[in-house]
Amino acid sequence: MINSNNKLGKSGAFASLFLLFALLIFPAVSSASVDADALLKQARDALTVGQIDQARSLFKQVPAPGLDGDDGQFVYSRMQLARISYSMKDPGKARDYAEQVVAVYPDNVEAKNFLTSLDRETKPEWQKTLEDCKRFMPNLLKGASMTLLLVFFTMIVSPIGGLFIALGKISRMQPFMAISWFTIWFFRGTPLLLQLFFIYYGLPAIGITLSPLAAALIGLGINYSAYLAEIIRAGIESIDDGQTEAAKALGMTYSQTMRRVIIPQTYKRIIPPIANEFIALIKDTALVSTIAMVELMRAADQMFNAYFNVTVLVMAAVIYLIFTSVFTFIFEKIEYKVGVYERR
Amino acid sequence: METILELKKVVKKFGRLTAVNNIDLKITRGEKVVIVGPSGSGKSTLLRTMNFLETIDSGEIHFEGNLCGYVYKDGNPVLDSQKNLCALRSEIGMVFQQFNLFPHMSVLQNVMEGQVTVLGKSKDEAREVALQMLEKVGLSDRATVYPVTLSGGQKQRVAIARALAMKPKMMLFDEPTSALDPELVGEVFDTIRSLADDGMTMVIVTHNMGFAREVADTVIFMESGDFIAKGTPGEFFSAETQHPRIKEFMDKLL
Repeated sequence: MINSNNKLGKSGAFASLFLLFALLIFPAVSSASVDADALLKQARDALTVGQIDQARSLFKQVPAPGLDGDDGQFVYSRMQLARISYSMKDPGKARDYAEQVVAVYPDNVEAKNFLTSLDRETKPEWQKTLEDCKRFMPNLLKGASMTLLLVFFTMIVSPIGGLFIALGKISRMQPFMAISWFTIWFFRGTPLLLQLFFIYYGLPAIGITLSPLAAALIGLGINYSAYLAEIIRAGIESIDDGQTEAAKALGMTYSQTMRRVIIPQTYKRIIPPIANEFIALIKDTALVSTIAMVELMRAADQMFNAYFNVTVLVMAAVIYLIFTSVFTFIFEKIEYKVGVYERR
Repeated sequence: METILELKKVVKKFGRLTAVNNIDLKITRGEKVVIVGPSGSGKSTLLRTMNFLETIDSGEIHFEGNLCGYVYKDGNPVLDSQKNLCALRSEIGMVFQQFNLFPHMSVLQNVMEGQVTVLGKSKDEAREVALQMLEKVGLSDRATVYPVTLSGGQKQRVAIARALAMKPKMMLFDEPTSALDPELVGEVFDTIRSLADDGMTMVIVTHNMGFAREVADTVIFMESGDFIAKGTPGEFFSAETQHPRIKEFMDKLL
């Protein structure tokens, strides 16, 4: 502040000198007013033809308010000077000019914004990045929690749905077979994006209107059930027939055989491909942004469009990587645990 | 003697191949029937029709005097309801060539499983019976391990214990030693022999003539779905009464 006051004092002195000078050279001009308008016009003209130094000295002659100066003209000239200094890679001087304005008009928004962004510019890179992170984090976390909700829901629903579709497909009862076959055929054969559009934009046509969240949960749930169904079916069919026979010979029913003997043996085989699907799911949740859901990718995209700052995309990538890493780790643990009986 | 299982004119076809051709067989309680014969003769198939793992194309199966396992539509047998079949199967123990132990369960759990799931016993009750049965087959010290750690002979003995734990009225053995290393065959036959001594009704499909001779009350030679010969071991193995086809078969084995 002391510094800026000094500067202000100096430029005030400049202005006084200039006044004296003007009075000497142009006696016709009234001592009560300097022609600030003319000065600004000349300065602008100088700027347009690239005479920066000329423009600078002309801007500097615009007097401070109170010394016959006009408010708007003073602010304009000092801000122009600040910008010129900044463009001449002299942020220190640019700051001085902007502070001159703030000193006279503490509420001047233009000058204050200029100083704020100047502060940012002159900070070290890591500090800037840290501030970006702080700024983006709340929205990203909100989006990430929505992503997690979608992932958890689908992870719980799709194995159950997939099991029933798989059992339907290997059953000998025509209607179950047909339903299972159709579900797998349709939901595996069309893009998830299209299915989400159908559910969210298409169903209202037949009187079913769903919230974006409900549509997203249904779309992801069915789609992943269809994928998991084939994995589970392959798992069931990979178990030796002798197991079914042994269970039957003990007197077990079909459902007891499945529940107690066959399905527990599939875990070891189907968990790696299911983990694979779930990793894909974490990323596929990004598709629900197309039906007005704000999850991690959409949140990142919104902020990227607003600030055009790549940091937000890097942050989103890191969050996705954290999710996929954690789930990979968890699935490895589960896989080890369910396969324990195969180790000697 | 009371008949426990009776097959009447049982036929089983696989496409054009007749695996079991119009077989009649009566098994009395406590009888040990051994079925021998070349590969593909239909002996395993016949055995599997006895607990309805194989569906017959015509004929009747009577268990303890009751026609069972099938309902007849236009004279053709159609498998009975799952409930009835399961009840029947739980009374007939079966031991497989490939053991078919449940690999995801410990030895003890394998022997408990049927008791809990099928018979509805409490876990404590089942555990007690299971430990008795493991004792009987000499494997009580392996109760807590998974089957993967057992030798073939031990696996088969666990499989026998698993079947016995259901307190079956008869036992079916489908080539119980064919998948075993020769030095492990003995321990399994010892176990089966001790069962025979307890008076268990048994039907055994095997290639082991020595064992057939030793344990059987009745030996049956089967080929191409037919019984070629049937008799006591004495008749079956003595040079005078032996069927020429059996002699040929046994010469090949030696």
